[in-house]
Amino acid sequence: MSTILKIFVFPAAMIIMCLGVLTILGGHITPGGGFQGGAMIAAGFIFCLIVYGLKESPFKLSHDFLAAVESVGALGFVFLGLVGLIFSGFFLYNVGVDLYSYVPASIQSAFNYPDPTSAGIIPYLNFVVGLKVMVGLSAVVIAFLGFKELEKDKKEVQE
Amino acid sequence: MIIYAGPLILGFLLGFVMGTRIQEDPESNLKFGASVYAVFFIMAVIVAYFLGPFPYYYDVPLASGFVACALGIIMGKLIFGRKAPLKMEESATLE
Repeated sequence: MSTILKIFVFPAAMIIMCLGVLTILGGHITPGGGFQGGAMIAAGFIFCLIVYGLKESPFKLSHDFLAAVESVGALGFVFLGLVGLIFSGFFLYNVGVDLYSYVPASIQSAFNYPDPTSAGIIPYLNFVVGLKVMVGLSAVVIAFLGFKELEKDKKEVQE
Repeated sequence: MIIYAGPLILGFLLGFVMGTRIQEDPESNLKFGASVYAVFFIMAVIVAYFLGPFPYYYDVPLASGFVACALGIIMGKLIFGRKAPLKMEESATLE
């Protein structure tokens, strides 16, 4: 890739990632949400991977990191669902808003997102979905680039 | 003036997670020094100002989550982004 691209892409990728985070954070009041924001963050990672390559990319996403974040995302979603199930009897009940008054006030205030809209657990769900999508899409591209490197190594060995 | 903590905390957390992954390869010719992060932060504040706050948020005249994420990336890089780089290509293919 050209030198201009190599200078430009890293800061631009970070700006794209910040925009993705903003899309996740505004998921409960503006268009967007966890999936869309996570895809935008992954786009930032992929931008770097395409321009710098797998070896020289400034973002190093190891297998352990990808597995850990994916697990945190999935378990966080299940945890938020189980909180609703335990306190109200309904999986993914919005305990932060508590429209039907099933939940004690302390639990309600603990799970209510601190912003002017009082969206309850919806922003937290967006957050965990964003984490999952971010690493999921990045992992696909990293795997494809890794397979490409493997093929190159195999050809070199055969020659 | 009320500062809404939600987007600040979650934005910082997400940015921090991403910032910890920035690890420069000492063998590489690419060097991203402090000036890159300074330019990035200034650009982030300008972009956040033009994006404006979310609907119903009247605390500050800029996208606070955006700035918190930019700060998180820089802090994550400063705190955890200094160790030796991981071999991403190996972990992607072998496991």
